[in-house]
Parts: sequence; C-alpha cells; structure tokens
Amino acid sequence: MKIGKLMTSLIAAAVILTFGAANAADWKPSGPVNLQIGFGAGGETDTLGRVIASVMKEQTGWDVIAENKPGGGGVAMFSGISKAPADGLVIGLGVNMPIMINLVLRGDKLPFDLDSFDYLATVARAQLAIIAKKDAPFDDIKGLVAHSKANGGTAVAFDAKPQELILRAIDKQESAGLKLVSTKSSAEMLQFVLGGQVMASFSAGTHIPYVEKGDLKVLASANDGRHNYAPDTLSLKEQGYNLFVDPYFYFAGPAGLPDDAKAALVAALDSAIASEKVKTVVANALATEVDNLGSDGTKKMLVDGIGGVKVLFGK
Amino acid sequence: MVDFNVVLAGLTDAFQLTNLLFVLAGVVLGQFVGAVPGIGPVMAMAIAIPFTFVLDPLPAIGFLVGVNKGGLVGGAVPAVLINTPGTPDAAATALDGHPLAKQGKPVKATKMALYASVTGDTFSDLVLVTVSAPLAIVALKMGPVEVFALMIFAFSIIAGLVGNSLSKGIIAAALGLLCATVGLDPEHSTPRLYFGWFELYDGLPLASVAIGMLAISEILRRLASTNGGMKSAIEIPVAQNPEDMRVRWVEYWSCRYTMLRGAVIGTILGALPGIGSTAAAFMSYASAKQTSDDPQSFGKGNLHGIAAAESANSAVVGANLIPLLTLGIPGSVGAALIISAFMIHGIQPGPLLFEQQGRLVYGLFGAMIMANFINLFVGQVGLRFWILVVRAPESVIFSSALLLCIVGVSMATGGLFGVSVMLIFAGVGYLMTAFGYSVVIFIIAFFLGPRFEISLSQTLVLLDGDVAALVNYPIAIVLLLLAIVATWWLGFRAAARQANKQPA
Repeated sequence: MKIGKLMTSLIAAAVILTFGAANAADWKPSGPVNLQIGFGAGGETDTLGRVIASVMKEQTGWDVIAENKPGGGGVAMFSGISKAPADGLVIGLGVNMPIMINLVLRGDKLPFDLDSFDYLATVARAQLAIIAKKDAPFDDIKGLVAHSKANGGTAVAFDAKPQELILRAIDKQESAGLKLVSTKSSAEMLQFVLGGQVMASFSAGTHIPYVEKGDLKVLASANDGRHNYAPDTLSLKEQGYNLFVDPYFYFAGPAGLPDDAKAALVAALDSAIASEKVKTVVANALATEVDNLGSDGTKKMLVDGIGGVKVLFGK
Repeated sequence: MVDFNVVLAGLTDAFQLTNLLFVLAGVVLGQFVGAVPGIGPVMAMAIAIPFTFVLDPLPAIGFLVGVNKGGLVGGAVPAVLINTPGTPDAAATALDGHPLAKQGKPVKATKMALYASVTGDTFSDLVLVTVSAPLAIVALKMGPVEVFALMIFAFSIIAGLVGNSLSKGIIAAALGLLCATVGLDPEHSTPRLYFGWFELYDGLPLASVAIGMLAISEILRRLASTNGGMKSAIEIPVAQNPEDMRVRWVEYWSCRYTMLRGAVIGTILGALPGIGSTAAAFMSYASAKQTSDDPQSFGKGNLHGIAAAESANSAVVGANLIPLLTLGIPGSVGAALIISAFMIHGIQPGPLLFEQQGRLVYGLFGAMIMANFINLFVGQVGLRFWILVVRAPESVIFSSALLLCIVGVSMATGGLFGVSVMLIFAGVGYLMTAFGYSVVIFIIAFFLGPRFEISLSQTLVLLDGDVAALVNYPIAIVLLLLAIVATWWLGFRAAARQANKQPA
C-alpha cells in the first residue's frame, strides 16, 4: 500500500518534471541563482538587491544568492553578465545612467551593447531634485541664475556626470557663471548646502526630511516629471530647460535566455518587487515608489534613455 | 530638547535582555571577523543588514554597532600577534604592538590595545551622547577649504613617520598618490590609468591594496625566512613573568595623555566625514612619537605607541555617528551601512531624528556604552583564544591567513580581480620593504589621496583659483599655519636631537 502510494507520487513527479519543463511557470533553476549587484556593499542598490534576493528566495523557493560586483557604476558587473551563459542562473541589478553614459561616450571600448542583454524588470525610478536652503534668496532655477549673475557666480554642487552636464547646459543657456563643485555623494552635497559652502545642489532623497522640517526647499525636479513629495515644484523642463535625467534601477540577464527561463525570472522579479517588503524598502531607502516597467518596458526605457543621454552630451 | 522621560525610556530599552544579547552577539561576531585577516567588520555588516530587517530597529542597529566596535578591537589582534593588520587602521597598532609581542609579551601588547581601544571609544561615545548637536554644527562649518587645510596639517604631522631617508619617504608617498589617481577623476569623471579594465573605474580596490601590502607581503616575508623547522608564529616563553602577562594600572595611567590625545584626534576626524580612522591612528601615533621624551623607543614595543593608535582609531567609530545621527551624513563606509540599516527600518537619520525617534536614539546610545563594556570582557576572553591559536606552527598560521585573505578580498571586491590586485600589491609591498621604502607612508598617501584630490578641486572652484580669497576662511588659514609650524618644529626638534646625540 505504502509502496503503491510512493510509486504513484514518484510517477506524478516524473510526469511533472518531463512535461512541466516546457511550461514557463514550472521552470526551475538548475542551481543557485546568482543575483549580482553592480555596486559595493552599503548603498541603495546593494540594499535593494539583497532584500529582493531574500524575497525571491522566500516566494519561489529558489536559492538566490546576492553578490556585489562593484566597478564603473555597474559596467564591470554587466560586462561579466554579457559573457555569462544564458541559462537563467545569473542576473544583474544596476542603474541605467552610468551604463547609458558609458555606451554613449566609449561604446566602442565596452564588451557589450544594449542587445547583449535580456531585460527583466525595473525596481524604481530615483527622484533627483535641485535643492537650496530655505532662506536662500531664490525659489527656482531662474532665481538661482539671477543670483549668480548678480553676485559674480554661485557655487552649486553635483555628484555625477549627468548632473554636471545639466548644470553646464543651464550655465551655457543663461551665461549664469555658476561655479560647479564636484562631490562624491549625495550626503556630501547636503553637507555643503547646510554648511553654506554651496548655495544649491542636487539631491536624490536625503533632503526630504529637511524639506519637511523647513530647513531646505526644492528648486526643481531634475526628472521628466514632478516629485510625489513636492507636487507643486516644477520640473526643469517646465521651467524652460529641456534637460532631465531619469535614473532607474533595473534587472537584466545575458541575451538569449530560454523563453521559459526568462518568463519565470520576469514573473519572480515582478512578484518580489510587488511585495510589501520591497515596497517598504524602496519607500524608505529611495523615498519613492516601486515602478516595474516589465521586460519590454525596461528595454524601451534604455533605448529611449540613450537618446536622452546623447542630447545631454551634445552627440 | 528631548524630554528626560524619553532619555530614560531609551536607556532602559538598551538594558532589555534581547537587546543586550544582540549587542553581545554583534561584538563577538565583530571581534571574530576583525581578528581574521581579510574579512573585516564592514563586510560582516553588509552581509548582516538584510537579516536585521526582521528585527526591531534597536536590536538591529545595536547589533550592527556591536559588529563595528568589536571589529576594531579584533583588528588589532593579528596586527599585534603576527604583524598582519586585517584592517589598515590597525597598521599603526602593529608598529609597536608587534615588536612588543616579539619580545615575548603578546598578552601585554594585546591587552594594552584592548584597553586603549575601549578608552578611546568610550570617550568619543560620551562626546556623542552629550554634545553631538553643537559639534555637528561646528563640523558643518568645515567646508572643502577647511578640510583641504586640515589634510595638509595631517600630512605635516604624519611626515614625522617618514624615518631615516626623506627621499625614500617622498618616493613612497608619491607612489601612493599615483595609485590613488587610478579610476575616474573626481572632477570630470574621465577614466585615468585604467588600461581597459572597467573594474578599475572606481579606483584600485582599497581592501586589495591594504591587505596585499600590509598582510600578504608580511606573510611572504615570513614564509621566505622559514627554514623548514617547526616553530610557532610567535615565541611565548613557557614560564612567563606574570608582570608581562598584564598591563599594570601604573602603565595604563602613564598613557593617559597619549590616549586622551588619540581620543580627541579620533573624535575630531570622525566628526568630519570622509577622512577616516586610518589617518586618525597614524596622526595620533606620529604626534605621540614626536612629543615623547624618548622617540627612539617607538617602533620597538612602546606601550604609548599602541595606546595612541588604538585610542584614535576606535574614537573615530563613535564620532562617525555624530554627523550621521544629527545630519544624516555618513562619515565612513561603516557609518553608511548603519544609515542603510536605519533606512530599511523606515527611519531617516537627520534633523528630525532626535524629535521623532528620541527613544530609539537614546536606546542606541545606551547600547553603544554597553557594547564598550562587552568589548572589554569579550576581548579579555578572546585574546587568550587568539594567543592559543598563534601558538600553532608558523606554516599552519601563515598558510591559513593567506587563504583567509584571498577569500575575504574576493568577497569584499566581488571576485578574483580584487585578488589579483591584492597579489600584485603584495609583491610591491614586499619589494618596498626589502629596499627600505615605508609601506605605511604609501598606504596613508593612497588612502588620503582621493579625498585630498577632490578637496583640492573643490577648493579651487570655491576660491576661483585665487589664493587671496583664503582670507574668507580663517579656520583654514589657522590650520595651514599650524601645518607650517608643525613641519618647522618637527624638523627643528629632529635636528636638535641629532645634534644632541652627536657628542654622546
């Protein structure tokens, strides 16, 4: 009797294994899934990657291992991914801006292009703002430009290439004489604004509690659209500068993933990103909402984004 | 101002058994990973963060702070016992700790390191608890121009470590600065000296260079000098004089000014983001040596040398939380990890933290103070364990240390690329030591190089390239004058000592 039952379940298992393999929903990784993070330990991307890996593991039962592959803002990690076997066992989490900038500036030297990957999901879009102290004598970019002209140059901080290009473009358009101060992080920019070393800076979220408290104000959204916490502040585009950056956190795997593996990964990532845990982390660490564009949407975001970056670099 | 009830409630939370147990677990883990070459507390914290998601905020953050604090105590252990600092800030501890251990007093050396570390840490914690808010506002006034001047001042103090040959010291420093320029330039993000390796975009991985030059090169040196015989990594006399097994109160007390100076240096540098504990340890060490009546005894097992280095590097950790808690600005990688732990719990460090989360903050303060005591007790037990470990034959100790360094660096840098860099720098470090170039000077220049370069670029932009504009920055002027005085004074004193020695 017992043996009979065992046989039945074994046969059932065998049937499921043989026939189920062709079905996307039943694809199982043949080993641990390596979730590579394109940045070092301790940043927003690292936090997102590790939490998503643990939720995926919980939801699918797969063995998902998060691993840091820092270097070149994700270029080193995606170089590795583009050469990895397309078996669904390696996926990467990166940020679009550094990848797109490197593709535009030195694409001939990169071992990959946009077609080297199968795109799986986006996690969220970071909200980039231009901020100033509450008592600064201006409330928008036009005011900042006027202040700079009147005072022989105003110091503004940035911490990434696209931000520098936006400032240069504004400076050129208005002949404002802005002094561009390069920094290493959002935190350093915030420190300089609060300490009065610069009058304005970019910021990707650390400023929000200060805005709530009333120490800082937002001059503009640097995204293509306004921010959820400051719906009345105009974007750069609305203020008459055709400039924006939309930094997305996204997942991709090597090109040529089998259809069932790709579908299973897309579904697993989608349900992980939609989970309460990931939503909370995105809200807490990035001060924004989860925003999964899906497989095709992610690819479209990158293809369109490359066009935008070319405009920024004047190429 | 935070209500007194909230302060008491917070401190009471810190004494709850679960919270204490998590702090204890953190300290034990931290001391362990700190003492094992190559892994380090930062790596352990990064791995632990997602697991703390399921905990309440206080045990989670208390645990991470425990790992961080324990790591600094643990890091001194391999530096003292086998001269292979697991973290670069322990390199200063090795300068005097290892010679003392070699004289057959490893217990004394590690105990002094432990006491000095806990002393420095407690000092900076007390500063954090009492005057963090005003101090943070002062720190905010230290902009790029002031930080640049401060770094010049730091360099002028550390120059006291150069040793006998000035030209070799300058060559080592220049090499360190050169290696620090690898990667994207801080001003316009143009890649430099990367030779097509995208892994080098963010510069040479710190962990690889530090562990390669400090730990692996020492292991290579020791392996090269073995002669096939079985001997322990460190010789400990069997019938040891009990005096050499402990640090007497008189000895501890005689180091009080050294430790106080170290703690102050560590607290100041810790409150200013981005300079770090390595610079603090060496600055403290160099100034202890310069102000000592007997500078010749440094580097030969002077307790003051250990006390200076350990009190300063541990004081940085508590002080790092000053800009973190009050302004939301992390001062180091460890502090950045603690911020991300705060954030995944939905707590935004910054101006509202004390108002919104007063109880949590004071709970954290309580946990930090408790972590210092736990560090002391766990350290007392732990160092006996480690001394037993290093009694194993040299061949076993050094080959396992080598393995651990390779595993640790490949974890920290995400693969074998970092390991290759580590091995290359191990070779460089070995050759530099063999030809009498200071590896320590190289490492300091390499660590401070990127911050120095970006501060210089920020300063030039803010001053519009006009040196006369410095008059608007009085603190910077004072620091630059101090740097000149320090250089002159150190040079003068050194010359005077030489003159004194000649007749004798």
